[in-house]
Amino acid sequence: MAAKNVLGIIFSNAYDEALPELTALRTMGSIPFAARYRLIDFPLSNMVNAGIPQVGVITKSNYRSLMDHIGTGKPWDLSRKREGMTLLPPFNNPDTGIAKGRADALYGCISYISNSKKDYVLLTDCNVICNMDYEALIKATEANNADITVAYAKGTPPAIKNATELIIDESGRVTGTSTVDCYSSSVNYSLKIMLIRRTLLERLLHEAHGANIVELETLFANNVKHLRVFGYEEKGFVRVIGSLQNYYDISLELLKLENRKQLFTSESPVYTKVRDQVPAIYGIGAKVSNSLVADGCRIYGEVENSILFRGVTVEKGAKIKDSIIMQDTFIGENSSLECVIIDKAAVVKPGKKLCGASNYPVYIGKGIVI
Amino acid sequence: MAVKPECIAMLLAGGQGSRLGILTKKIAKPAVPYGGKYRIIDFPLSNCVNSGIYTVGVLTQYQPLELNDYIGNGQPWDLDRANGGVHILSPYQQIKGTEWYKGTANAIYQNINFIERYDPEYVLILSGDHIYKMDYSKMIDFHKEHNADCTIAMLEVPWEEASRFGLMIVNDDGSIKEFEEKPKNPRSNKASMGVYVFNWKKLRKYLIEDEANENSGNDFGHDLIPAMHENGERMFAYQFDGYWKDVGTINSLWDANLDLLNPKVDLDLTDDSWRIYSRSPAAPPHYIGNNAQVENSMITEGCEIDGSIDFSVLFSNVTVEEGAEVKYSIVMPGTVIKKGAVVQYSIVAENAVIDEGAVVGESPENMKNAEGWGVAVVGNRVHIGKGARVAPDTMVDSDVGGAE
Repeated sequence: MAAKNVLGIIFSNAYDEALPELTALRTMGSIPFAARYRLIDFPLSNMVNAGIPQVGVITKSNYRSLMDHIGTGKPWDLSRKREGMTLLPPFNNPDTGIAKGRADALYGCISYISNSKKDYVLLTDCNVICNMDYEALIKATEANNADITVAYAKGTPPAIKNATELIIDESGRVTGTSTVDCYSSSVNYSLKIMLIRRTLLERLLHEAHGANIVELETLFANNVKHLRVFGYEEKGFVRVIGSLQNYYDISLELLKLENRKQLFTSESPVYTKVRDQVPAIYGIGAKVSNSLVADGCRIYGEVENSILFRGVTVEKGAKIKDSIIMQDTFIGENSSLECVIIDKAAVVKPGKKLCGASNYPVYIGKGIVI
Repeated sequence: MAVKPECIAMLLAGGQGSRLGILTKKIAKPAVPYGGKYRIIDFPLSNCVNSGIYTVGVLTQYQPLELNDYIGNGQPWDLDRANGGVHILSPYQQIKGTEWYKGTANAIYQNINFIERYDPEYVLILSGDHIYKMDYSKMIDFHKEHNADCTIAMLEVPWEEASRFGLMIVNDDGSIKEFEEKPKNPRSNKASMGVYVFNWKKLRKYLIEDEANENSGNDFGHDLIPAMHENGERMFAYQFDGYWKDVGTINSLWDANLDLLNPKVDLDLTDDSWRIYSRSPAAPPHYIGNNAQVENSMITEGCEIDGSIDFSVLFSNVTVEEGAEVKYSIVMPGTVIKKGAVVQYSIVAENAVIDEGAVVGESPENMKNAEGWGVAVVGNRVHIGKGARVAPDTMVDSDVGGAE
């Protein structure tokens, strides 16, 4: 089986509730991340880099920003006559309404899935940050003649709802699952990236719909014993975002070269919408250290251990430390920021001071003027 | 029926730019990188799109591979269109034989059929050699208002430089009285920018006549425009005020890049209403390390900086290691500057390696003999060995061994 026989499905809204601040106006998939990306760029680029030719993006609510970002799929080379990217808007089922869980959402686009005529379907959420070789996952599935392959990582599970531990035997087969919390350590936790036979997925979805099962996890747990389910360990840099604190910590982890080297490689680049802005301009008196900076920034102040998204202005005398400043935000003269997350197009007026703590970053919403 | 374009642009991009030496060994001048993420041709192309001109023929001849690849289907400039869009026009074989583009006018002459397909009222002739932001639609309006046959964009240059340009002596009503090509004693400081608007029907006639004239060099500036003037056609000069620079020499390319760092220079690339588009690589944000010192510089995606950068423009994916110094320099994509190396008053081309402790270029203040100073240039993929020196005003096109 080759990647061309795989249909990719991305859940853009899964775990929205885990980051209420950042998802108030957008989907999980359109949360800005790593100075110039949106979370959906990672699964979408991974799929494209593996050679998956068709990707459906499932949405549920507040997906205008997502549509604006992915457009026709051009930046990912998925704007095609045949196959390519399709945005799957919420489906209002006559008896059950808008999907409540991922199984439900998949049922809503079951005709899209069956029309693809692909052998397998690759399911993923947007809150998993990794540069995963999906091609290797597909090869492993073929070698194991698996019905389902689930990607997992070893370590402390993420603090998300329905975090799942996989019970794996010596042959790599998944024999059971259990729900775990983020206080357990060194377990094989599921990344909720799953490659599944298309016909099997369709059958399971029909059964789930009949039995009123809305969560993919329930459906999976009910069937794991009598299917050929295998695990696939992801050994590279992988992080699952489960809270604002998580988002903050994971973002700042990218200041370490070894993490960036794993996430951004020249062999499998991460693609995103191009914004055509000038390179970052550093003025006289700029002082920047240990920071990630995107194009379009204008820096005349001090920046330390921080992430500046595209089009941020840092005026003279401003001091930014341990912070994440999103697109087009303006930081006025002599202001001071420490441990803050500032959403898009906000304004911090001259002389203002904001200070959070590294274990409790302050969040400033989109467009707010301080 | 599709909307017929009123004006189409023909962009002359076949020039070698021989004075740029090793920088244009394998690429045409319009493909030369500029300003951290652009190439020279991004300026006329973006100007076209921003001016509402969506049909552009790009005439290539010298080393077109990289340029063709770069322009592709025109998507970065929004020129991938069902009607019009960008077209690469190379010389081609015809029944009467094969001919290169003999001159600028001949290049357009050979593509009369292309222009006829769109049957425009006006044709805008551009060159891919200059850095400037210009609203061509205003110039076309001017052309219409004056009921002109040909309008030439001009700009006032400093008198002491005027003798390097093609000059125009202009009447009070804006019409052109006389042309002077690079005169020793200039009588005007109004220089032609090489941007022309023609009524297509008129231009077509003159192109055919020019081709038939065996004594013609088939050049717009030398032959076709003087011929129109002699015949008393309505020719006007359109004054442009703003930044315009021919980046035809190493020093002017270096200058034009550093102009971006000078707030007094009237070239604002941050203006969202007149964006300059480019094809950009998929690279992560740039990283400024703990040991870095960055001031008065432009840095773009994919760079990893841990050294000190001052008055410099860095292109994508440049690495500057701890203790390395880059000042008054232009560093093109993918180049690595290793520990303790110094790059000053230089242009370093793509994917070069400046090894530990090497020194490229020299500051003019440290020159005993000011005459010998000039910008040092390191070519594509050249490796400058440990502790080696590259003298000012030299071009290095092959690897230089280490000093030990």
